[in-house]
Parts: sequence; structure tokens; C-alpha cells
Amino acid sequence: MNLLNIFSEIEKIDSDAPERFEFTRRKMLKTTTASLAGTSAFVLSTINKAFASEADIRDALNFALLLEYLEFDFYEKALASPNLIPPSDRELFTRIADDEERHVQFLRMALGSFAIAKPNFDFTAGGMYPTVFSVYNTFLTLSQTFEDLGVRAYKGQAPRLKENRDVLLSALRIHSVEARHAGEVRLVRGLRVWPSEDQLGGAPPAVYAGGNNIAQLGINLVPISAPQMIQRDLPKATLIVGEAFDEPLTKEQVLALAMPFVK
Amino acid sequence: MEQLNQLTEMGSPTSSVQRRTFLRQLGLFSGSAALLASCTLKDHNLPGSTVNLGAGDIGIANLAFLLDQLETAFYRMAYERSAGGGFTANDRSILAELHDHEVVHREFFKAYLGPNGIPMLDFDFSSINFNDRAIVFGKAKDFEDVGVGAINGAGPLIQSVDLLAIGGKMVSVEARHSTLVRHVLQDKKAYTIGLDLVDQYGRGWYLTPDEVVARVQPFVKQQINAGNLPKY
Repeated sequence: MNLLNIFSEIEKIDSDAPERFEFTRRKMLKTTTASLAGTSAFVLSTINKAFASEADIRDALNFALLLEYLEFDFYEKALASPNLIPPSDRELFTRIADDEERHVQFLRMALGSFAIAKPNFDFTAGGMYPTVFSVYNTFLTLSQTFEDLGVRAYKGQAPRLKENRDVLLSALRIHSVEARHAGEVRLVRGLRVWPSEDQLGGAPPAVYAGGNNIAQLGINLVPISAPQMIQRDLPKATLIVGEAFDEPLTKEQVLALAMPFVK
Repeated sequence: MEQLNQLTEMGSPTSSVQRRTFLRQLGLFSGSAALLASCTLKDHNLPGSTVNLGAGDIGIANLAFLLDQLETAFYRMAYERSAGGGFTANDRSILAELHDHEVVHREFFKAYLGPNGIPMLDFDFSSINFNDRAIVFGKAKDFEDVGVGAINGAGPLIQSVDLLAIGGKMVSVEARHSTLVRHVLQDKKAYTIGLDLVDQYGRGWYLTPDEVVARVQPFVKQQINAGNLPKY
């Protein structure tokens, strides 16, 4: 499986996919009004920018869409599983699922005819998590994983969206909502709201790898921050510095963690 | 540098030697334009005076720096005043944690901006009842949500890829902070995950720099001038 080429994976699932990604400027300009109505404002707004940027943006948004499809399907299945989610927690996960569905709708709208179709998912990841929809803690572990992973995924894609202000703004706004989801799932589990390598909660270590940086843009933050803190012991201060910045993951790193759940 | 130009326009000598002599007489002589700019920004720090955030990425970074100054001052006060009662040990711990995480952000911007940074400002939290737990955490929520909105809104206006990356790393932490204080007030609800701030497409809110300033100015004793920040 070639994890670096998401489109080749999707082609296996969706036979219409290759035509969707065949794109020429001439073809766009010749498109009738009726067809344009099916394409998105974001794609149209990028029409005068470099081709490489347009392809980058579509790729980044389709990557996001894959993750949103995954999350929405995951929560839908969980909510439909009898006796999985306790009544006290159903509102939270119903609302989270609703957000993910809205994200799917938004990204499909933004991508228009370029949107990938929804793949099928296996949330046991080939038997790694057999109790995902029968044991609440397993479900929670994966919920935490997907939300924290989604935050790092969006963050990793932001630089690719920089040339299109509207798209970047929407991506940042969605990303902040995923962070709220991630935060509450972690708190429901009794974990710190800030992710770090120190507290995996049963998630794969790679989800949190590289998350404890103490320097940003060459500035070592421990010596200048620790004396200003209320909690001044050095190990705690070092943890806090690491927690104060959420780190991105590359698309490849995210797919390595997400593709086991895609059939 | 602008200040320097204004001095020359006022009729003072324009040759560089004569300009240095003039400035030395004013007691502002410095070989470096950056230091001159820092004298201009920092020597009028009295409450009521104007603080100019600057332009471009510096303006945006200063706005974030201002927000982190505000949050750390707020949390420090909230933590100290929570000792009196009405707050659980867990509440106090959360206030300390929030303060300490925001301090890291504040110190980052102070170091990143260097002489281009605004001075440490003075804050007025007299409108807040620090004895009331719901009010304190509610205010914390408001400030964190302004932080989320500010970074979301400023992100697309940033020119430097480095600064955009930093903003991205911080905004999700602000969102986690908002979730933490909302969780303290009401857990596992729509409110907890900030649905009051989310639109029909599941996108969280954003604020323009001017909107951010409007929300925080009531708590800042200096007058904030964000007039030169990038605009939509």
C-alpha cells in the first residue's frame, strides 16, 4: 500500500476518481454555467493562481475530507451501538458527530466535483481494536486518537493553504473545533487537556510523537518561562512548555496512522 | 524610522551628522534604528497613553503578545484571589496551569519580537468579581475564546510561514483552554465544546484584529492602536 499517494488508494475504492482529478485550465474555462454551479467558490477563486497551488489546495482539502469521513462514520457507528456510550455522555458524542458531519458537508461543498467519495472503514483496524464498539474505553481511546490526530493533521496542512486566504481561514476555524473536541474527550477520560508524549491514554505513541518540543523558532522557552510560572519545579515547567504548543504532523505521518482504519 | 522622518520634517537639520547632534541633544541618540524605535514605543508606557502595535506580522505578533499579557495577568490575579474560598483545590490548580501555559506564550512573543515588542501593559480587572467561581471561569472562557478567534482571524493575514506555524500551534492550545474552563462549568455538553461559537459548517469563530481590540480594550489601561495591522 502506497501511503504517500492518497489518490491511488481512493481510486481503488472509487472508480470515478481518476476523471475527477484530471484538470486543465482550458477545461475549467470552457465549463458551462450549469457545470460551474457544481464547482465550488474556493476552486473558482483559485483559478488565477498557479496550478501547483490549486492542486495542493485540493489535495490538502481531500486529505481533510478523508479524516472527516472517518470521524463521522466512527461516531455514527458508535452512537448506533447499543449500550456503548453511557446516557450521560451521549449528548457530547452526538454533538461531536454533528460537527464532523458538518465538516464533511463543508469540504464536499468546497471541493465540488473534486471531492473524494466516502471510503468504507474498519474501526477494528484489522482486528487491532476488536472491542471498539463494545467496550466504552476502547471507543474513547480511538475517539481521543482521531481528534488529536485531526488537530495535528490540519495543522500540518495549513502552510499549503496559505495562498488562498478563504480556504486557510476555514481550515483554521475547523481545526479549532477539532481541538475543542479533543480537549473534552481527554477531560472525560481524566487526562490532561494538553497532549504530550507523557500521557498516551492507550493511543499509539506515534499520535503524540514529537509533541514535547521545548524550543520554538530557535527560542528555548524553559529558562525564560519557568521563573514566571506559578508551578516552578523544573520537570513540571518543562512539561508545560512542551504542552503550550501543539505540533503538526505531515500528511504521510497521519496517513500511516489513519489508513489501517480504511478498508 | 518613521519617528526619525517626522523629526526631520519638523525643520531640524537633515544631514546625518546634524541629525545625530540634534538627537543627542534630545537624549535619544542611538546608532541603531531598532533601538530608536524601541525608545519611541516604550518610553510612553503610562496608563492612558497609546500603544501602537505596529504593522504587518509585527502588528499581529504584538496583538497576540498583548492577549497573552492580559491572560497571564488575569490568571495570576484569579489564582491569588481564589485562596479565599469558593474555589476547590482542583479549581486553583486549573487556574495555575492556565496561567503557566499562557506565560510560555507570552515569553515566546517577548523573545520573538525583541525590540519590536510592545511594553508590558497595565490591566484593569476591577469589573470582575474574583470571589465568584462561575464569573472567574466564565471570564477565562471569554478570554480564551477571544484568543481562538484572534488567531483564526489573523492567521490568513500573516505573511511569514514561520509565524503562521506558531499561530497554528498556539490556537489549538487556546481552544483546549477554553474547553477546560467550560468543562469546569458544565461538562459533556454542547456548551463544553463551544457550539455557541460554531457555524452551520462546523467552523469555529474568528475575529478581525479590530474586533479583538474592541473586546480587550476595556481591560487594558493603555489605549491600543491597531490601526496599522493588516486588514481583510
